[in-house]
Amino acid sequence: MSIAIPQSRRGDPALLWHQVRYEQLSFWRNPQSAFFTFVFPVVIIVIFGALFRGSNGSSYFYGLTALQYYVPTIAALSVLGACYSQLAIVLAMRREAGILKRVRATPLPAWAYFLALLAHCVMVSVVDVALIVGIGSLFGVPFPTHWASIAVALVLGAASFCTLGVAVASLIRNAEAAPAVVQLVLFPLLFISGTYTPIHSAVLNRVSGALPVRAFNQDLLGAFGRQAGLDWKNLGVLLAWGAVGALIAIRRFRWNPRPE
Amino acid sequence: MHTNKTTIDLALEVPMRTQVTTAADITGGAATRAGPPCSSAVVVAGLRKSYGAVQAVHGISFTVSRGEIFALLGPNGAGKTTTLEILEGFRARDAGRVEVLGFDPGDRAAGRALRERIGLVLQDIAVEPYLTVRETLARNAGYYPAPRDVGEVIDLVGLAGQRQQKVRSLSGGQKRRLDLALGLIGRPDLLFLDEPTTGFDPSARRDAWQIVRSLRGEGTTILLTTHYMEEAQALADRVALISGGQIVAEGTPSAIGGRDTARARIRFALPEGCAAADLPVDAGPSDGLVTVETAEPTRTLHQLTGWALQHGTRLEQLTVDRPSLEDIYLRLTGHDALQPVAERSTR
Repeated sequence: MSIAIPQSRRGDPALLWHQVRYEQLSFWRNPQSAFFTFVFPVVIIVIFGALFRGSNGSSYFYGLTALQYYVPTIAALSVLGACYSQLAIVLAMRREAGILKRVRATPLPAWAYFLALLAHCVMVSVVDVALIVGIGSLFGVPFPTHWASIAVALVLGAASFCTLGVAVASLIRNAEAAPAVVQLVLFPLLFISGTYTPIHSAVLNRVSGALPVRAFNQDLLGAFGRQAGLDWKNLGVLLAWGAVGALIAIRRFRWNPRPE
Repeated sequence: MHTNKTTIDLALEVPMRTQVTTAADITGGAATRAGPPCSSAVVVAGLRKSYGAVQAVHGISFTVSRGEIFALLGPNGAGKTTTLEILEGFRARDAGRVEVLGFDPGDRAAGRALRERIGLVLQDIAVEPYLTVRETLARNAGYYPAPRDVGEVIDLVGLAGQRQQKVRSLSGGQKRRLDLALGLIGRPDLLFLDEPTTGFDPSARRDAWQIVRSLRGEGTTILLTTHYMEEAQALADRVALISGGQIVAEGTPSAIGGRDTARARIRFALPEGCAAADLPVDAGPSDGLVTVETAEPTRTLHQLTGWALQHGTRLEQLTVDRPSLEDIYLRLTGHDALQPVAERSTR
């Protein structure tokens, strides 16, 4: 009854945590999302581990062994999957199914919905990176030491790729197209950004240097590497892309499956 | 003239009884509610909405009082859902005034406070597939300041057996029940139901109606759309008939479109060996049954039955009725004109 209602909303942090818990629950129950975010990067790092395990000790990329190079880049790849790809596809699907419209019908504020998704993606990314680092150690790659730098690079990278994921979900019209569009954008970027093989072309590096994937790779390579400290130029590129993503998401995001 | 039409025709008797309960329920609900008694839950005035060149809503005005069940009845494409979606804040209006619980639903800043007090059941089913029924409701309950108890709502909509089942494994009907549960979980003052029982089997529909009535009993205001005549008849305190983006009639289900004042129809089989001219009253053309239209059914019926007894004969298949809500609906929404001429001429 309306008289009996004490206007006691739960506090913002509690609401956020409530929402994160249920995002986690839906995520871990969905076999498809678990496959793309975990199995794919794990398979890649295991393949690279098998390929390069004999060459430990020789320099592959500016003093790094091959696996010292690939653990950070594949960790970056896993974060892209957990944040950018996963979010773009899930949001497009939820919109098409009318689930987003239902969310809009509840008092849950939009900021809480997106912040919870962001927190959820960062959590999944942390699990992903820990998994890759763990598998790397099985192939003789030492654990990184500069955890603070890694944490900063990881959270900022994850956040930027989350906004880009939401931006892509805002720009595509139907859910069937989502996986194709996501891959179409990501695949060439991964190749020119040195995820699967180091790039020594100055022209290519200049191009990809202005794009977010290479910036994130470089950030993680730096943070995993021996020299402490963050690469602020690359962080800047990453944050700029994150801002672009956020801007597109804010201006173009639709909750309704059918445009008005 | 209302008094003795009830005993003969069951079709008349049922709505009469519903009306009686309705009136009792309103007073019961109003007594327990807070706020000024005459304030309105929903006010719509001169509402307009076009999609390109198509005018979906063409100057609609109506008011829903607190605690009543108000039905927007009309054929598909009449503008019911567009109107509802404007009230729910999903669509922007082109012109007109709209007030929902004192808020403008087009004003996003007021959105959260408004959404804490309204519940929505939309037309199509959309629920996150990987959570269980209980989890889904517990999640949404967390969005509201004073939600209903999750277990209580599960029992209310009849999903007690599916409590721990994942949403994806529910049947279509069970998903719709869950949808209704999600509409109720926040303990709304105002509930929007967009064609709530489309696709329900008759018993599921009766269950849903029972839930809606019990909510009204608790003082919840309900605005529903439907294209089922029986639904409007069984549930609504008031009905607005929408056609072509306009309200063509408004009133209680028993009085809308002049139902209560329309001439009654007495029908029966002409006794063997009698001609229509032998009857004590004027009869219309016969189509197997004789039809007598009258403004005074008591008197006319007395004349007819008296005549029959006098002649030692019977009026087989005797019925007395008034235009059904369906007749009114078809007449006012213009669908009557679509019927074949031959069929109409026999009426």
